[in-house]
Amino acid sequence: MIAPRKISLTINGKVCKGEEGQTILDIARANGIYIPTLCYLKGLTSWGGCRLCIVEIEGSSKIVPSCATPAMEGSKIITDTPRLQGLRKATLELLFSERNHICPICPYNKGDCGLQHQGYVHGITGIRYQYLYPALPVDLTPKYFGLEHNRCILCTRCVRTCDEIEGVHTLDVANRGNKNLIIADLATGIGQSETCTSCGACVANCPTGALFDKAAAFRGPLASCEQVKTTCTECPVGCGLKVYTKENRIVTVWGDPDSPVNEGHLCIKGRYETWAEPRERILTPLVRKNGFLTKATWNEALATIRKAAKAATKAEKALLVMPRLTNETAKTITNIAGKVDRVGMHVTANEAALCAEPEFTADSLRKLQDADVIIIIGAQPSRDNGVVAARIRQVVRRQGAKLIVLHAGRSDLDQYADVCANVVSLEHEFWNRVAATLAGVQRPAVVYGPDAMTPIGVTVMERLIKILEANPSGQEPLLISLPRSSNCLALAGNGIEPVEEIGPWLDAKPLKFLHIVAGDAPEGGAQILEEKYVPELLEQIDCVVVQASYQSRLTENAQVVLPSAIWCEKSGTITNIEGRQLALRPVLPASGEAWEDKTILESVFA
Amino acid sequence: MKKITGNKATKKTVHKPTAQAVTPPAPAKVRVATMWLSGCSGCHMSFLDLDERIVELVKLVDILHSPIVDTKDIPEVDVGIVEGCVNNNEQEHELRKLRSRCKALIALGDCAVTGNVPALRNQFALRDVLVRGYEETESTKISCIPNDPIVPRLHPKARPLQEVVKVDLHIPGCPPDADVIWYALTELLAGRTPQWNEKNLRYD
Repeated sequence: MIAPRKISLTINGKVCKGEEGQTILDIARANGIYIPTLCYLKGLTSWGGCRLCIVEIEGSSKIVPSCATPAMEGSKIITDTPRLQGLRKATLELLFSERNHICPICPYNKGDCGLQHQGYVHGITGIRYQYLYPALPVDLTPKYFGLEHNRCILCTRCVRTCDEIEGVHTLDVANRGNKNLIIADLATGIGQSETCTSCGACVANCPTGALFDKAAAFRGPLASCEQVKTTCTECPVGCGLKVYTKENRIVTVWGDPDSPVNEGHLCIKGRYETWAEPRERILTPLVRKNGFLTKATWNEALATIRKAAKAATKAEKALLVMPRLTNETAKTITNIAGKVDRVGMHVTANEAALCAEPEFTADSLRKLQDADVIIIIGAQPSRDNGVVAARIRQVVRRQGAKLIVLHAGRSDLDQYADVCANVVSLEHEFWNRVAATLAGVQRPAVVYGPDAMTPIGVTVMERLIKILEANPSGQEPLLISLPRSSNCLALAGNGIEPVEEIGPWLDAKPLKFLHIVAGDAPEGGAQILEEKYVPELLEQIDCVVVQASYQSRLTENAQVVLPSAIWCEKSGTITNIEGRQLALRPVLPASGEAWEDKTILESVFA
Repeated sequence: MKKITGNKATKKTVHKPTAQAVTPPAPAKVRVATMWLSGCSGCHMSFLDLDERIVELVKLVDILHSPIVDTKDIPEVDVGIVEGCVNNNEQEHELRKLRSRCKALIALGDCAVTGNVPALRNQFALRDVLVRGYEETESTKISCIPNDPIVPRLHPKARPLQEVVKVDLHIPGCPPDADVIWYALTELLAGRTPQWNEKNLRYD
């Protein structure tokens, strides 16, 4: 690749250096020269719609938008003249008069709004144009956010974000002129849209209050909130979170733009489901007395547990954990493993094989961006790892990479796939198509999930790798292991045995004491009760202790319930699929009497 | 106390505005009228939030007509300050009268500057607004849209001052901060035009 030619130009009399292909705005920003913008957002393609970034080029009578004009060697740019000021003011006044921008009733007022800010910078007071007061709808169909068309300035940042970052292109612009409207799909509500993933990236990138988080609305400006950076524990990707809190409550969660994992993007799980979803927290220890779970102090609960533990021999005790625990908790579990007969970690179907040989590919999510073919086997990133799915869509849709999807369930990625089939499709015809797709590829990436670990999945994968290796021009394939359970690879690496089927594990030896660490799993660990015979087997155990954050069917049937801290109350580290050690920082103080998982385990098995 | 007697003096001269000019106070004070149209009175409250600075202000200014001054008609003044937007024919009449009797007009607060909350109804037809307000309201017992000619007629749209009369200065804010009002008034009294930027401007 040829390095772009260096160029030098003058902006406001200052000599600025840049590269050919950069826009005037890029070079001005890099040299610390301020040019006002509204529709421009770093990371998105330039739109040139708001016309605030206009500049004059000496020797030309034309005024050009700096965000969409490539810089030229030797040109002399002026960013601030009375003429430009006047035009920018007029543009802003037209924006203010076009729709119903009523700042006092907007949740984005007092510092978060880009339009407001530009109004202040340009000293706009009275508007010289007649207000249009159009009658516009408000779309409140999405579960977690809303679209208030009255405040929309049609900068299309949401449309570009939806297309270029999440890659689903749910949002677009309908109609012409001042009838323009942001729509979802074929003008349905965003909530009814089939393509919307509710990732909320459009909300984060909206410069005005047009797209707003329902939970964050009218909670005051983000500038007044405290900000804590932590890590999402919803899936093994480990996205960086920027959590805004006020008065010990979460106002909103944004992606951390400095995180090398997600670069500011999040999926519905990380952005909303962890905190905007109402769930019944367990706030105090509960002990079963006369058949009913009653509130107890920690000392009472621990005494009850110790009594029950004493009544059982070592061979009759076991510890069952759900993934999503921190690496520090894993160390504690390793230390107490000698005090019980067996320690198991409940993982989803076929995940144990992934955990058996934990494979971390350093920097794999960034390397995925360079792939020219992506093969997905047995993984469902659209459902389980939204940020990875978004990156795959970007690579496939924007860079033209090929995509092969082999899976057991359908997802939206199928529509972009060159070959899309069930893992068990092994006909000759199918392999011919795969071979044709893979011919001549140079940088292949294989994203494999739990379902690739079935006997047939392994056969398919071996055959694929063989085809890729036979390719003369191809590099070694980038392998990305994508389990469903958060941090399960690192927990297995610490010697905790992954267990897919709880029934046989419980039944191996009769138990009298079982400690279950459900943690802050959304379903509270109750998914193990779905398995055949497990409820009956649990009933036979004298004492079942459940340490969990949320109420579930599992806690209802326990002898003792211990409240544990949730993701935003924990500290520690988790290891993501790239092998990065990512820090969890406590965003809020623990609710009620909840303790961290590690502390509880240390106290119970002291 | 001095201030109150001063106001009483002006009250006597209200019916003959020319008489005021005959007996000028030693340093000629700037004559001000304030008006409250469709707004919540918050801007006047914010004006009163000037607190002890009001004492400074009345050394330079005479407030001759205002919701907080008991006068019936608008006298000839130097500066008119208006809160709220124009919602009905009576308000338009009053505003035009003030404009014709003042040298400079200030739109104070978002309602006067942009229409703001009263203008939320502009998205709906006038008839729907009246029906919602007088017939469908949850607290309505006897529904009746007032139609007595003595009741001011609601305009089809609430309009900011600028769409009705010429406005010389806009002070946005809902309400504008007392400091912003103070800044604008002192600049004007010093003969300067207030300069607006991101430090002193607020729309909310």
